[in-house]
Amino acid sequence: MAIIIPASIVSTELIFSSCKSEVKEGFFTDENIKLLDEIGETIIPATATSPGAKAARIGEFMKVYVTDCYTLEEQNTFWYGINKIKEISRGKYKNQFPKLTLLQKTEILQKFEKDAQEYSENKKKMTGANGDAVQTGKGNQEAMNEYGGHFYPMIKELTVFGFFTSQPGATKALRYIQTPGSYKGDVPYKKGDKAWAT
Amino acid sequence: MGNINSKGIEENTYDAIVIGSGISGGWAAKELCEHGLKTLVLERGRDVKHLVDYPTMAKDPWDFPHRNDLTLKEKEDNPVVSKCYAFKEDAKHFFVKDNEHPYIQEKPFDWIRGYQVGGKSLTWGRCTQRWSNFEFTGPQRFGFGWDWPIRYEDVAPWYSHVEKFIGICGSKDGLEAMPDGEFLPPFELNRVEQHLKESILKNYGNRYLVHARWAHLTKPNQIHLDQGRGQCQARNLCQRGCPFGGYFSSNSSTLPWAAKTGNLTIRPFSVVHSIIYDEQKQKATGVRVIDTNTKQATEFFAKVIFVNGSALNSNLILLNSTSNRFPNGLGNDSGMLGKYICHHNYRGWLGGEIDGFADTYYYGHNPTDAIIANYRNLHKIDTDFIGGYTTYTGARRDRNNGETFPQQMGAEYKESMTEPGPWTVYSYVQGETIPKEKNHVRLSTDKKDEWGIPQLITSVEYDDNDDKLLNDYFVQTEEMFAKAGVKNIHHSDSKQAPGLDIHEMGGCRMGTDPKTSMLDKWNALHHCKNVFVTDGACMASTGNQSPSILYMTLTARACNYVVDEMKKGNI
Repeated sequence: MAIIIPASIVSTELIFSSCKSEVKEGFFTDENIKLLDEIGETIIPATATSPGAKAARIGEFMKVYVTDCYTLEEQNTFWYGINKIKEISRGKYKNQFPKLTLLQKTEILQKFEKDAQEYSENKKKMTGANGDAVQTGKGNQEAMNEYGGHFYPMIKELTVFGFFTSQPGATKALRYIQTPGSYKGDVPYKKGDKAWAT
Repeated sequence: MGNINSKGIEENTYDAIVIGSGISGGWAAKELCEHGLKTLVLERGRDVKHLVDYPTMAKDPWDFPHRNDLTLKEKEDNPVVSKCYAFKEDAKHFFVKDNEHPYIQEKPFDWIRGYQVGGKSLTWGRCTQRWSNFEFTGPQRFGFGWDWPIRYEDVAPWYSHVEKFIGICGSKDGLEAMPDGEFLPPFELNRVEQHLKESILKNYGNRYLVHARWAHLTKPNQIHLDQGRGQCQARNLCQRGCPFGGYFSSNSSTLPWAAKTGNLTIRPFSVVHSIIYDEQKQKATGVRVIDTNTKQATEFFAKVIFVNGSALNSNLILLNSTSNRFPNGLGNDSGMLGKYICHHNYRGWLGGEIDGFADTYYYGHNPTDAIIANYRNLHKIDTDFIGGYTTYTGARRDRNNGETFPQQMGAEYKESMTEPGPWTVYSYVQGETIPKEKNHVRLSTDKKDEWGIPQLITSVEYDDNDDKLLNDYFVQTEEMFAKAGVKNIHHSDSKQAPGLDIHEMGGCRMGTDPKTSMLDKWNALHHCKNVFVTDGACMASTGNQSPSILYMTLTARACNYVVDEMKKGNI
């Protein structure tokens, strides 16, 4: 018989067991903020039509948001992931992430994108119909642990959310008008027109 | 009255005292001052001046360090108020923090409060449809409560009075279940909403999706311009306070209007401890006030007292107003005070996606939702539950979330997210709940707040009827949406505690019989005729329509009754 335990407990344990690092003051060094800018720019690059995540100062945004809005566990997961990205840059590509080519940066992040999807699928398999996690054996837990769980969606969501709520994101990549003056319920739309930022 | 000398009494005497400056208190101030009564408005919180005290009104999303999210500490410090949809970085300063005024939840109750001049009128939902006679007669016809002492015809002219002044947009739809009013032009339906409206009417014949009736100046009249208010600019940032006065609040409308008469005194930082009852005169003579900063007590006196402290706080004040004559709270011979607390069932959400309509979009931010007028249990009980529900609905087209884009990073991924995605259709429910004696508030016998006032104990819960109503909303709305071509329909029951609806009502209800009610048909206490309760506490049942405009309407009606009675020498 499967032992049913609340999902929140499982995920917390997994995050703790997977995190070697502990959050310390000063993690958001200039170097790390630059790294976050580079990661963000790989996900949302500057294009011909609008600036990218770096122009939106995504690293500075992550500093404020992660520090103030994340739980300690979430912060640990976040830094675990950043360290993983650093490790793989140095180990496999023999250089710091910001100095890698776009192709190399993309390769690294896509690996984590894929891992995160697998993690999410494994988690679903281990979750019963009622939303509670079902502990079926040691094997699954180990599979979920391999890359420290779900740090990558955090970084990706911070990038996307931070970019589209930034001034360059909202006003250049999207359309933004704080005070429209009036509301019109039916205006023509043609492919290529930007979405409203708010 | 002890150590207060006669000069003090004179200085502290007004014609009328209004307890609370929110949506109904503001109306009492306006009506009484306009009729020449020197009026003191007591507000327990700080002053908030229109425009001056709206610190976030002109901010852009990137001006907020957390892009309008709450910090972890704010969430941890405020487990109750942080559940409120509007308690965000841009408007959190208009809400009471959890530690600022404790109360005791005997059963889970999320009590959302706004202690400042203007109260919750700054952050309210602004939806303002009229009650119909279906609501006023429902409890009596279907036997789920005591009858209201008034009917739609009693309040209809006062609805008009309020609507003309505050400005309500909407269209005249001729629906018996949602009577028409004095409307400014409505916000347009977008093309998908128009499609939904037509599909629902075609498939059902007697279900009506109509324009929102909302307190926005879509096309201001002279009376609105005279208030210093202007046209709604479709910002949909109302909860911050509006730089244009585009939506109604006490701060932008009734209070400055009352002030212009020269008859208004507003006293912030003044929490009312209790109402003073004079046994010889057999009426209330004033109120005891505690300065929230200095903790000093002061008494103020008046011929008439309006209690508009918000539903539960008005109950608290009356329960705490004890005397030899009224040992259980002012006017509480019936023992009904604090009982039959009710609220609106706001637990349900249902939505989905709809194909097509790719060639249409909208301009500006519609601050309103369309409404599917209640179609349940109107003439007879035609379901397995009692009461009705309003369905709010709308369609929007958000930025494409890029989820399905194969390459989850890079230039093309980014570009895919800069365009609008498919249309989504949403709805949420505002359901009637049935007043029950066991749903009550009472005073703690041992716990007091920092001003020495007993803490309030809340004991309110849902029942089977609420679950059945919610289920019917899910089933019916899914069917209506599916017939209109909405797909991937999903719904959720938030299971939120009572209170988070911010539509708490009752406890001091109106009725004909003093044995089973607290207030008469003019909102005066049956047993203390110069005290009027015209906020949510007066509600004998919840109906399914939004209540705030009814509070304003009942307030205006009661004030004009007071003025008439004063002329006759009866008050």
